[in-house]
Amino acid sequence: MNAIEIKGLSKSFRGLYALDGLDMTVPVGAIYGFIGENGSGKSTTEKLICGHLVPDGGQIRLFGRPHTDPGVRVRVGALIENAGCFPGSSVYQNLMMQAINLGLEHPDEEIGRVLKIVRMEEHAQLRFKKCSLGMKQRIGIAMALLGDPALLILDEPINGLDTDGMRIMREILVQITQELGCTVLISSHLLGELEKIATHYGIIRQGKMIMELTAQELEGRARVFVSLKTKDMQGAEAALRRRYRDVRMEEDLLRVYDVDSVEDIVDHLMKSGHVVSQIEKNKIGLEEYYIELMSKKEGQ
Amino acid sequence: MGKTLRFDSPSFGRRLKGMLGVDFYRLFHTPMYYIFLAIAAIIPAMILGTSGIPDPQTGVAATPLYTNVWHIIAAEEPLYVVSDIAEYANMDMVFIFGGIMVSIFIGHDYKSGYVKQLFTTHPKKQDYMMSKTITCAFAMACMCVTYLIGAVAAGLLTGGSFQVDPLALLCAVLGKMIMSLGWASLYTFLNIIFRKYFGVSIASSFFFGTGILIIGAAAIVGNSAWLNVFLYGSSVYACLSSTPVTVLVCLVCSVVWALVYNVLGTRILSKCDVY
Repeated sequence: MNAIEIKGLSKSFRGLYALDGLDMTVPVGAIYGFIGENGSGKSTTEKLICGHLVPDGGQIRLFGRPHTDPGVRVRVGALIENAGCFPGSSVYQNLMMQAINLGLEHPDEEIGRVLKIVRMEEHAQLRFKKCSLGMKQRIGIAMALLGDPALLILDEPINGLDTDGMRIMREILVQITQELGCTVLISSHLLGELEKIATHYGIIRQGKMIMELTAQELEGRARVFVSLKTKDMQGAEAALRRRYRDVRMEEDLLRVYDVDSVEDIVDHLMKSGHVVSQIEKNKIGLEEYYIELMSKKEGQ
Repeated sequence: MGKTLRFDSPSFGRRLKGMLGVDFYRLFHTPMYYIFLAIAAIIPAMILGTSGIPDPQTGVAATPLYTNVWHIIAAEEPLYVVSDIAEYANMDMVFIFGGIMVSIFIGHDYKSGYVKQLFTTHPKKQDYMMSKTITCAFAMACMCVTYLIGAVAAGLLTGGSFQVDPLALLCAVLGKMIMSLGWASLYTFLNIIFRKYFGVSIASSFFFGTGILIIGAAAIVGNSAWLNVFLYGSSVYACLSSTPVTVLVCLVCSVVWALVYNVLGTRILSKCDVY
């Protein structure tokens, strides 16, 4: 069974298509990193899943049921754009309202539990409007965690946070994904952060899903490269091009792709009269993979 | 750790209980509700207290607006055609201020983004409409009570006449309180239509709350009983010559309009994006 199954989903705003026949599959238990540039349709997809928007066409099923089924909706938690709290009410009051809405039997215990997860126990009586952006995002996550959600939808939870806020949020996300065991759909521009927790990825572009892959598949597709520095970079590049197929000058480094042996490269450069001052073996990460994929799509 | 994947659909009763719980919790925990209760009490007190005050220059007392304190609750007869302010200023004014209160109450759902949290989980659009209508009707009925208290207190202080048929007064107050349901449903409906425009929703609530359309219609057709079909008409019908039949008319009018507006509001919410 899949936690989310979307087929042919479309949504337009004033005649402009935000989603155009999107297909998406999120297996149960997955931490699904939802990636795409600004305006690609990530937030629209998440809002449609949450029932905030009405689709023009297509089908959304959550855990095998229609996404509008109250039985499945009661097990969905989301943080979309902002926490959705009343600014004049305290953190506790906002959480209490959601706990009442969900019909929780022991709301105080449950509020204490989620506040502990997001490290906000000390600030329960603080008015929401007095909270910092990082705290507000954490409260939003606490709201989403109330009532044992089976599916958690987080839209750019790290966006706009300072370094410390990002660190705390990252730790919370790791804790949620490792300990709570619910399916998580998370969109973020910070691919490096996403790479640390995601088990699956979906890459969306111009309202269409261009690729879905697991972390293992990404690992398999990730290209190995050797990056190096020499005194005469241009001369070394020319020498390397004579032997290797894919040599690029990137970020003041020479990169030789799809080569496993560092010794071979060093040996070849030595024979060509170049002394290597720095050499390192790397693997393409999610960010580089994404950039490469997007460049290819733009070229098409 | 895996999650148990049981999805029990909450019943309509559980969903509505949850929504009502949230709305009443919010109502009782926000100062807005108490401010509007106070406004409802102050208005009749101000009108009665300032009516008939002597002119500071001539020293001659102005003619009081009301000869009987209960006229600030309702007129002797249902007066759809209004000729002076005294015929207009009565408990029906609660519904004007109630409209503004409903606009703020629902508007904050959208402004804060809380509506997203609600609709992400199990409440259906009809639950939302019903819950808002019931909560706001309760708040307006409470405003009617504080209005009554304010009127009585001011009447006692100014020494006005309290002569009235108790049953007629009871039926009039009860009728107007019952009308809160219909008015609350209208305002909820208006706020659903103009959910993206807070200012427009307040203005529209005020406009319809004044009953200006019915007053205008009455100027053409006269004091016709047909006007009781409308919310303002039935509210005016609950006057100091009311009988239990008046209460029944108010009940039918209020419930029918509440159903109509709830069905229409639910349809709009279901067909349109939440925000």
